[in-house]
Amino acid sequence: MNIKDINTKTKPIVIIDKSLDFFNDKVLFPEKLAKANEMLKKVGLPKVAKA
Amino acid sequence: MHLDKYELKSGEQLTVFEFVSNGINGKIIKLVQYTPTNYKDLYNLGFGDKNIDTGTIDDNVISNNGDSEKVLATVVATLYAFTDKHPEALVYATGSSKSRTRLYRMGITKYIDDVQKDFEVFGELENDWESFKKDVEYLAFLVKRKL
Repeated sequence: MNIKDINTKTKPIVIIDKSLDFFNDKVLFPEKLAKANEMLKKVGLPKVAKA
Repeated sequence: MHLDKYELKSGEQLTVFEFVSNGINGKIIKLVQYTPTNYKDLYNLGFGDKNIDTGTIDDNVISNNGDSEKVLATVVATLYAFTDKHPEALVYATGSSKSRTRLYRMGITKYIDDVQKDFEVFGELENDWESFKKDVEYLAFLVKRKL
């Protein structure tokens, strides 16, 4: 199995780049997050299956 | 899904992902972020372009880079990576506009048979949720990894 084969499987290959941890405590899409919270407040959550 | 995807980079928490779209308008850096909402284990999926000149992130821009299928497949790949690390997470996604939400719906519709093997998929109606159905216009989507 070569790299290309592996990449086509469901599980993606992710290269860890610690410089991206800079964004961990930042909200990059604040408007979208606010919209999500607002919409969820109105409609609530669906019933999801438990494991 | 056995689709062509871009190479993904992420921080150690697997909540922020970066990849480079390479299409007819050149290279565009894309960022995907899973952000906690006001609800336990519920994360919002944010997705947009990084402006390399200003460093700002824009989720309203329409790139038209001719690679939307590959970009969508890459975003779905982040969903797998994120839910591998955070299996209990619910992920909420909506577009920055009606037309963008419609694009998401078309993308989900196209691959729904594959997606539903691994995720429960819900569509948000005006006042309720339902299991995702094709040809229904939803306000937003919510997915949960099947454990």
